[in-house]
Amino acid sequence: MFYRDKLSFEEEDFKLKVGFLHFSSCSGCQVAFLDMFEEAVEILDTVELVYSNMLTKRRDIPRMDVAFVEGALCVEDPHHINLLRELGKKAKMVVAVGGCAAFGGVRRLSCGNQLPQPQHQTFVPITEVDFLKTKVKYAIPGCPPNPSLLYSFLLALLEVNEDFLLPFELMTSSTKASGFDIISEVVNKGFCVGCGTCSTACPTRAISFNRECGKPAFNANLCVHCGSCLAACPQSFKPYPQPVYV
Amino acid sequence: MVSLDRRFLIGNFRGAFVVEGKGKNPTESIFRLMLKHQFIDGLLTCSKTGESPKLILKSDEVELPSKNTCFGVNSLLKKAIQKYRFSRLAVYAPACTFDGLNKTQYFGIGCNWTKTAISLKVGFLCPGLLTENAFNAELADIAGKSTGVKRFYFDGGNLFYLLEDGASLKIPLSVHHHYTNSACRYCLNMAAKGTDITCVNLKEEDRVLLIVRSERGWSTLAHLQKTAPGEVLFRKAEEELLASVENFLREKILLNIADIVERVELGLPVPKWNDNKLRKFYRIWNSVDINFEEEVF
Repeated sequence: MFYRDKLSFEEEDFKLKVGFLHFSSCSGCQVAFLDMFEEAVEILDTVELVYSNMLTKRRDIPRMDVAFVEGALCVEDPHHINLLRELGKKAKMVVAVGGCAAFGGVRRLSCGNQLPQPQHQTFVPITEVDFLKTKVKYAIPGCPPNPSLLYSFLLALLEVNEDFLLPFELMTSSTKASGFDIISEVVNKGFCVGCGTCSTACPTRAISFNRECGKPAFNANLCVHCGSCLAACPQSFKPYPQPVYV
Repeated sequence: MVSLDRRFLIGNFRGAFVVEGKGKNPTESIFRLMLKHQFIDGLLTCSKTGESPKLILKSDEVELPSKNTCFGVNSLLKKAIQKYRFSRLAVYAPACTFDGLNKTQYFGIGCNWTKTAISLKVGFLCPGLLTENAFNAELADIAGKSTGVKRFYFDGGNLFYLLEDGASLKIPLSVHHHYTNSACRYCLNMAAKGTDITCVNLKEEDRVLLIVRSERGWSTLAHLQKTAPGEVLFRKAEEELLASVENFLREKILLNIADIVERVELGLPVPKWNDNKLRKFYRIWNSVDINFEEEVF
């Protein structure tokens, strides 16, 4: 009995403690995590879900290794400020999940002063909060991010696959993350191959495909600043381990 | 330093075969058979003229782009995989499309579960993509003609266009280079490394050179031969044919490298083979210290 207890303690201790924290968003990113279905079972023996406003009953936020944060911080909401302070204390590492937390997302379009909470006017993505600057290690683009991306990301996190994680680390310093990036960083610089990957990555059809010139066409009115297009573009960062010829 | 040897130009492969299709385009015949025998449930490619991406579901509808124009194939990816739930999709496109596809498979960005939904990647040897307007301007420049292009092919290490009036036109690479899509002028992967099979169009419409790269490509073709024997005939490719393809690639890549070097000299951002990449992402381009690696997912 003593031996079994000791073993289970060690197993529990070995598990990566993760939590989901919700700021101002639609909760779609958390739902995307649930969409992993049976694939999630594969990693459940190495991951322990310690906190989620949707999936666990506990009210207090425990200490955790990785906090997945969805949504932008509303500065006028005292609940958000408390949550932010807790996050700073309890989480060892923060991952901004989805457009709102990573780049501002649809919150970039908000001007506040609206019912039912007209006092809520200032929305800041987690990656821009200096208080968490040292803790926000990765930003995952998408609105919401694909479940397959979240699954691959979790696996890479468990395996410490730095090659996979590096683009997401660099995305924490990105602020624009819109279709304008595709135009200015890829098309205008002569790197667009016309493959259409940005168009398929766009969740709002803000990027369509111009068949006459073989390049993407961007409609700024539909863009929600989720960052999917630039992240998906094969010309923005390397698609997979590239050959280096010596 | 880049060494323009076969390994760099064509890439690693298991075998190269000249395939004959009994009067029909053998690549189309292969896809037709694969759809008919349910090896795949859909084919993602472009229309015959290359103007628009196309999702082919029936074996009698198979038509592959015959010109070196094929844009926007990946724009139908989400529709095929997430909307129509295809799980055994084949893709026929140029190498750059597979860069996007491989990235989507590796990271999972863009389209969900692409990793498991693609069953075969067939790339074609691409001399650089052109839009319809660029074709017209190129033909006017080279031959002073306004007739359309029917198909492109390689013969003796040269690029040829078969025109709609039935004439064949040899295309000087130095001229062709200036009419291609801007990104194609910096491409170093024209032989579609990172696919299962690379298809090279030859002079005769019913012959192609298939360069089989991956185990998946190899076993698919073997299984197809067993299922439908005699429909397409495979013959081991001669060394001369491979050498002529290699010569073509070498000539084009030298032009591309010259353009890349020019951009470096002018201080312009350069493509992914250099470490000075797009601002915030530039650091990771050459971050993997490996000598040679190609991955086919």
